[in-house]
Amino acid sequence: MRASLTAIVLLPLLGFVLNGVLATALGGRVAGKRFVTLVGCGLPLLSFVLSLVALAQLAAGGWQPIVETAYRWTQLGDRTFDVAFYLDRLSMVMLLVVTGVGSVIHIYSVGYMAHDEGYGRFFAYLNLFLFFMLLLVLGRSMLVLFVGWEGVGLASYLLIGFWFDDAANARAGKKAFVTNRVGDAGFLLGMFLLYQGLGTLEMDRINAAFAGGQAAMLPASLVGVLLFIGASGKSAQIPLHVWLPDAMAGPTPVSALIHAATMVTAGVYLVARLAGLYLQAPEASALIATVGVATAFFAATVALVQTDIKKVLAYSTVSQLGFMFVALGVGAYGVAIFHLVTHAFFKACLFLGAGSVIHALGGEQDLRKMGGLARHIPVTFVTFAIATAAIAGIPPLAGFFSKDEILWFAFASPQGGSPLLWAVAAATALMTAFYMFRLLWLAFLTPSRIEPEVEAHVHESPWSMTGVLVLLAALSALGGFIAVPHFLAPQLPLPAIDASRHATETLLLWVSVALAATGLALAALLYAGRGERAARLAVRWAGAHRWLSAKYYIDELYERVLGRPLVWISDRVFLRLSDRVLIDGTLHALAALGRFGAALLGRLQTGSLQVYAWFVLIGIAGALWWGVRHV
Amino acid sequence: MIDTLLSHLDTLLLLALAGGAVLGGALMLVLRQPMRVALALILTMVCLSGIFGLLGMHFAAAFQVLIYVGAVMVFMVFAIMLLDERDPGAQRYSRLLVPGVIGFVLLLAMLVGGVWRALPSPRGELSDAPLGIGQFSTTFLAEYWLHFELTSVLLVAAVVAAMAAIKTGRRRDRGG
Amino acid sequence: MDRTQLLIGVAMMLFALGLFGVVVRRNVLVMLMCLELMLNGVNLSLLTFAHQAGNAAGAVLVFLVFVVAAAEIALAIPIVVLLVRDKRTLNVGSYDELKG
Repeated sequence: MRASLTAIVLLPLLGFVLNGVLATALGGRVAGKRFVTLVGCGLPLLSFVLSLVALAQLAAGGWQPIVETAYRWTQLGDRTFDVAFYLDRLSMVMLLVVTGVGSVIHIYSVGYMAHDEGYGRFFAYLNLFLFFMLLLVLGRSMLVLFVGWEGVGLASYLLIGFWFDDAANARAGKKAFVTNRVGDAGFLLGMFLLYQGLGTLEMDRINAAFAGGQAAMLPASLVGVLLFIGASGKSAQIPLHVWLPDAMAGPTPVSALIHAATMVTAGVYLVARLAGLYLQAPEASALIATVGVATAFFAATVALVQTDIKKVLAYSTVSQLGFMFVALGVGAYGVAIFHLVTHAFFKACLFLGAGSVIHALGGEQDLRKMGGLARHIPVTFVTFAIATAAIAGIPPLAGFFSKDEILWFAFASPQGGSPLLWAVAAATALMTAFYMFRLLWLAFLTPSRIEPEVEAHVHESPWSMTGVLVLLAALSALGGFIAVPHFLAPQLPLPAIDASRHATETLLLWVSVALAATGLALAALLYAGRGERAARLAVRWAGAHRWLSAKYYIDELYERVLGRPLVWISDRVFLRLSDRVLIDGTLHALAALGRFGAALLGRLQTGSLQVYAWFVLIGIAGALWWGVRHV
Repeated sequence: MIDTLLSHLDTLLLLALAGGAVLGGALMLVLRQPMRVALALILTMVCLSGIFGLLGMHFAAAFQVLIYVGAVMVFMVFAIMLLDERDPGAQRYSRLLVPGVIGFVLLLAMLVGGVWRALPSPRGELSDAPLGIGQFSTTFLAEYWLHFELTSVLLVAAVVAAMAAIKTGRRRDRGG
Repeated sequence: MDRTQLLIGVAMMLFALGLFGVVVRRNVLVMLMCLELMLNGVNLSLLTFAHQAGNAAGAVLVFLVFVVAAAEIALAIPIVVLLVRDKRTLNVGSYDELKG
C-alpha cells in the first residue's frame, strides 16, 4: 500500500476545518464532544499510521528519498515553484516524532481539557498546528518550510493566548509571535541570498550544490548566520529566547507539544536539514556552537531558582535546545537529532506530568505550595521521576545516551570541539540534574506545603492522561536504545574522530555519570526535609538569587532599549508628525483650499440684479467676440 | 427741390423714424422721472411701428401699436402712477455706471465689428412687395402651429399666475 | 449703407441701449422698460431680415414675441408691485436678499 505524503499532511488540516467549523461558536457548536474527540484525535493517529507505512516504503526502496509533488504553485518565466514533499531518513525521524508524540498529546488533551468550554476550538488549533508542522518537516523547498514555519508560529500564538479573556495570556501570545518574526527577518534574508546564488530553494539541491562546490561564490557563512537567526527565534536561543517562558501561559498540552517536543525543534531541524551548507560554513557553525552553549548555561542558571513548575521546565527546554545547537555547531548533526528525539519523549512526559499535578491541585502551579504529592498521585510521580532521571542523564535512560554523545563531540569534534566547550556544557549538565531533582523533591517528596482545602481534593488524573504519561515514560527509559545517529549516518555523517581518543571518551562518559549523580545528591541534600539549607543559601547569596529570579532582567532591558524608543518613535514621529501633521494636515489643507475657493467665489453673489445683468452684457460681448474669431 | 424730396420720401421718412427711435432710446437713459421715461419709450415704439409700415408689413405695424403701446405701455403707465414715487433726491444711476459704460462700448464694438459690417448686400432689387398677411397666415398656421399652441398655454399660465399674485397680495393685506 | 444695414444698426443700438439701461438705472420700473426696449430692438431686426429674405418666418416670430412680451409684462408688474409694497422702495439696490 502506498502512503501518500500529501495525505499525511492534509489529514490534520481536515481535522482543523471540521472541528473549527462545526465545534466552535462559528458553526453554532453543532458537533458534540464525542465528534471533536473522534476527529481531533483520530486524524492525527491516522497520520501516524500512514507515517509508519511510509517508513516501510522508504526501507523497501533502499532508503532512497521519496519525492512527491503535490501541485505546481507558480511558474515565473522558466523558474517553477512547486509544493513538493520530500521524505528521507531525517524527515522520517521528524515525521514519526511529530505524528507520534503529537497524537499521544492529543489523547492527553481529551482528559485535560474535558471541562473547558473551548474544547472544540482547542482541538481545531492543535490540528492546525500539526498540519503546519508537517508542512515544515516534509517540505522539499524552503518556501514550503517557511509556510509551515510561519504557520506553526500562528498556531502557537493562537494556543498560547487560548484563554484570551485574561489579557496577560494574549500579551504572551503576542510576544511569542513578534519575537519569532524578528528571527524570520534573518530567515528571509538567508533565503533571498540562497535563491539569488543558486536559483533554487529546494533543500536537497541546495545541499548538493554546496557539497559539490558549485556554490563557491555564495558566502556560506553569511547565509548560515542569517538562517541561524531565524532558527534562534523559533528555538528560543539568546537573544530571542524571551518568549518561551511567557508561553507557559497556554494550556499544558500546548506547552508539551509546541514548546517542548516539536515547534521549538524546528530551528534544530532547519540547521540539520541544511547540513550541506553548514559543513561549508565554519564561522557560522562556530557561532551556533557558542550561542548554543551560552544559552544552555544561562537558561540553566535561571532554572535553579524558579518557583513556578512550568517555568522551570520552560527554562529547561531552552537549555536543552542550546545543547542541540552545540551538537549542530560541532558538526554532529545526527547526534543533535538524537537529542531532539529523546528530549521530545522526556520533556513531553515532564510537561504532561506537570499538567497532571496542576490538574490534581486544581490549578496550583507554585512549587512553594506543593509537596508530598508522591503519596497522593503515585502514577504521575513515578512517570515524572523516570523522566527527571532521563533528563538528568542517569544511565541507562534515554537522556544519558544523547547528552553524553553531545558532550563527547563538544570535546572532541575536529569541527569546533574544544575542552572549553565541553567544560561549559558539562557544568550545564550538572545544573540540569540539580534543578530537575530540585523540582522533583519540591513537588513530590518534601513534606506537604499544600493548602488544606486543596489537599482534600487531590486526585489522580483519568486514564486518558496517565496512560499517555506511562507511554512517554517508557519511551524516555528505553528511547536511548534507538540508534538514531547511526540511522542518520548515511545521510548526516558524524565527524570523524581519531580512534586513539577512545580512552578519553570512556573517561568523559564516567564524568557524565558522576555529574548526574552529583546533581541528584546536591538536590536531595538541599531540599529534602523542610529545605532549611536551601533557604540559608538563598539568604547568603541574596544578590545572585535576585538576579537569577529576575531572569537577568533581560525583559526589562529589552523594554528599555527597544520597547521605549519604538513607542517614542511611533508616538512622536509616526503618529504626531506623519499622521496628524502631514497626512491629516494635507487633507485639512485641501479642504481649507476648497473652502477658501468657495468663499472667494461666493463673493460673486452680490444679490444685486444689476451686477448680474452686467455679467450678461459682458458675456454677450465675449461670446460675440469668440464667434467672430472662430467661426 | 420738392421733387427730389418727394422722390426720396420714403428714404427720408425711414431716416427720420430711425432717428426718432434711437432718440427715444437714448432719452430713456437720461430722463429722471419714470413717467417721462415711459413717454420716451412710447416714442420709440411708435417710430418702430412706422418703420414696420414702411417695410410693407402693415399688420406688424398695427400689432405693434395695439399690443405694445396699447397694452404694455398703458399697463406700465398705470403701474408708475400706482407706485407714485415723489422722491426728488432719488438716484438716477446705480453704482455700476462706469462698468456699464465700458460694457456698453464693448458690446457695441463687437456688434458692429462682428455683425454689422459683415451683413450681406441684398441680392438684386430690394422688392417693396409687402409680406402680405396671406403669406403670413399661411406660414403661421402651417409651420408654426405648435408654437401657437404653446404660447396659448403660456397665456393661460400667465392668467393663473396673475390670479395667484392677487391672492397673495390680498392675503398680505388682510394680515393673514 | 442700404436700408437693411441702417435698420439693423438701429436694432443693435436699441438692444445695446436697453441692456445698458438695465445695468445702470436704479428705478425698478425703468429697468422693466429698458427690458422692453431690448425686445423692440430684436423685433426690428427680425422683421428687417424677414423683409430682406422674403421669408414670412421672421414675421411669425415677431408675432409670437408680441404675445410673450405681453404675458411677461402682465406678470412682471404685479411682482414689482408686491415687491415694492414689501420693501417700500423702488430702488433696485435694496433688493439684495440673494446676497451670499
